[in-house]
Amino acid sequence: MITKEAVAVAPAPERPAPRAPRPVKRRRAWDEAPRWQIYLPLSVYLLFTLIPFYWILLFALRPAGSTSLAPWPMTFDHFEKVWTERAFGTYFQNSVLIGVATLVLTTVVALAGGYALARFDFRIKRVFMLALLCSQFVPGALLLVPLFQVFAELRMINSLGSVILAETVFQLPLSMILISGFIRNVPYSLEEAAWVDGCTRLASFRIVVLPLLRPGLIAVGSFAFVHAWNHFLFALMFLSDQSKQTIPVGLNTLMSADSVDLGALAAGGIVAAVPVVIVFAFIQKWLITGFSAGAVKG
Amino acid sequence: MKSSIRRSRRAGLAVALGSVLALTATACGDDGSGAAGDKGNEGSGKGEITFWDNNGGVRTDIWKEIIADFEKKYPDIKVNYVGIPAASAQSKYDTAIQGGGLPDVGGVGTAVLAEVAVQGALEPLDSRLGKSPLNGKLSQNLLDVSKSAGGGDTLYQIPTSANNGTLWYRTDLFTAAGLDAPTTWSKFYEAADKLTDKGKNKFGFTIRGGEGSIAPALDAVYGQTGITSFWNGDKTTVNDPKNVAALDKYVALYKKDTPSADVNNDFTKMVAQWDSGTIGMLSHNLGSYQDHLKALGAGKFRGIPNPTADDGTRVQISNPVDGLSLFKSSKNKAAAWKFIEFAVSAAENSKYNKSAGQVPANTDAAKDAWVQNAEPTKLAAEALNGAGTKIVQMPYYLPDWNTISKADNEPNFQKVLLGKMTAKQFLDTLAEQLNAAQADWKKNH
Repeated sequence: MITKEAVAVAPAPERPAPRAPRPVKRRRAWDEAPRWQIYLPLSVYLLFTLIPFYWILLFALRPAGSTSLAPWPMTFDHFEKVWTERAFGTYFQNSVLIGVATLVLTTVVALAGGYALARFDFRIKRVFMLALLCSQFVPGALLLVPLFQVFAELRMINSLGSVILAETVFQLPLSMILISGFIRNVPYSLEEAAWVDGCTRLASFRIVVLPLLRPGLIAVGSFAFVHAWNHFLFALMFLSDQSKQTIPVGLNTLMSADSVDLGALAAGGIVAAVPVVIVFAFIQKWLITGFSAGAVKG
Repeated sequence: MKSSIRRSRRAGLAVALGSVLALTATACGDDGSGAAGDKGNEGSGKGEITFWDNNGGVRTDIWKEIIADFEKKYPDIKVNYVGIPAASAQSKYDTAIQGGGLPDVGGVGTAVLAEVAVQGALEPLDSRLGKSPLNGKLSQNLLDVSKSAGGGDTLYQIPTSANNGTLWYRTDLFTAAGLDAPTTWSKFYEAADKLTDKGKNKFGFTIRGGEGSIAPALDAVYGQTGITSFWNGDKTTVNDPKNVAALDKYVALYKKDTPSADVNNDFTKMVAQWDSGTIGMLSHNLGSYQDHLKALGAGKFRGIPNPTADDGTRVQISNPVDGLSLFKSSKNKAAAWKFIEFAVSAAENSKYNKSAGQVPANTDAAKDAWVQNAEPTKLAAEALNGAGTKIVQMPYYLPDWNTISKADNEPNFQKVLLGKMTAKQFLDTLAEQLNAAQADWKKNH
């Protein structure tokens, strides 16, 4: 057996660790392109996109009759007019109520349906999925009369509930398909592990699956909200009472058969667009994640 | 883990409870009764009635004022006002006819009267008018248009107002160019040419090429040729060679004296363009008066009836007439009729038309001072009721009129403007469809 005696050796002076080689940045096509080739088309595109918005702002903020290309002198008269005289305050409340209720109902029901589609195998599953897809091709206008008769039987004509139900029903197929895709992405073994720990199926869904679905839920919920917020037809047909009308119907009443108040219309357009823009600004991160997750995997 | 379960259970419960509450709170509605087959009844003449305004929004304030006056006079009748966007009025009526939920009284213009009447939704009004204090107080011309639009034999609409094709022109630009008012077609074409300076983005005229283009085009065509009847026996005169030549001349203005974007002009774009730009003339109707006033201010523009022939002969097409109809399904026809009578009485009809800038149907209202002071309305009333005016009655009674004059032929008119179809091909196509629709209508009447 060979042994080596330990020899005290002075510690070697600390040498700086060799610097890791700087990663070579992969040069991509746009790194080599002159800046103007990137910014010019983008600027032109941006101009086309923003000019209509500027036009709306201009008409909403400049006084009636002004032909100025800048909103100066600035006035909020058009906003005051639509909000008070044209009852947009009431329309806004109704639209919010319809939008939020549709969002909640659609998300809850789509979650249940989507879970069943993702986790259970049943005989008519493929036919059912096909039917869900096909229902997307039926325009709402085609079902107006039967829906009207159903709501009349239920004594729901002229109630916000009729619009909420109709919007929810029309949102459900796409929402269920999307949510089932998101649920399929959550490994089944996670739920099984929760069962082993004593959870019921419902509890494991709530505790394990639901938190992982957040991007998907935000995508589906926001889609339902925006659709209900912008939809005109059901509110026009099922609601008659002025105090129950919604923003899209209110916007249409700003255009009469022979004349149109462009200032009021632009101000109304901004009132209608702002909540949607704010919602998207807050949720865009999850929205993109949610839609791409549902689209690519599944 | 336990607290997490409790939290999510609470959240689930809150969501479920919230949904139920939201639906319950919003679900107190009605059964929307009143479809086309429903015969309704006279009722007690008291209680609630529902009124649909087919031009809701802009006219809401004036109707609410009229309703307040009515409820003051008849305190035992309450009127529920429903304003419907003008562009969606027809589809709202169609859905309610099929599904239920028709009102007691509704604004029904002559453009959709035939379609609503043919579905059996409207109450004939001849005998009610005969016994009413309104009898003899309404313009006979307008009553004729209303009757004709409903099919010819029965009155389904009490007219409230008449509109008229109006040539709006910028007096400041005309004065600067030393031009006469465009009272004749020759002066109109001359002014359109002289006021155009494309380099400076100045145009003599703006043409309606998008939605609603057919009526102004036909008004210009018949106005130039002086043909006074839409039908010659069972065939339409719309493709008469004289009309073809007149249309050729009219559409030749496109791009020569008008902006090229006019091919997509509906009235909104056309009016906005005229109000904010430097365009000499605009052919629209009385309805845009307030928009011009707000945008340009008084004294910068005038509105005159469409031009005449050089010898002063005035031929124009019949314009849609606004009016009120009583719905057959109403459960309170007596109260509903009281409302119609009240709304078309001299004082209320005057008030309504002053606000709308249109010609009152009530002849006493038409004599009011405001009509004499509002030049465009006064001139329109004179043109409509003038002894020398020949009115070409449009076939509003054809149930297919809207389809033919809008969906079927507006795209063709755009093709004519763009040079992809000749005026003759366009008018021949239109004539063929109208002749078929007329033959079909005659078979059923």
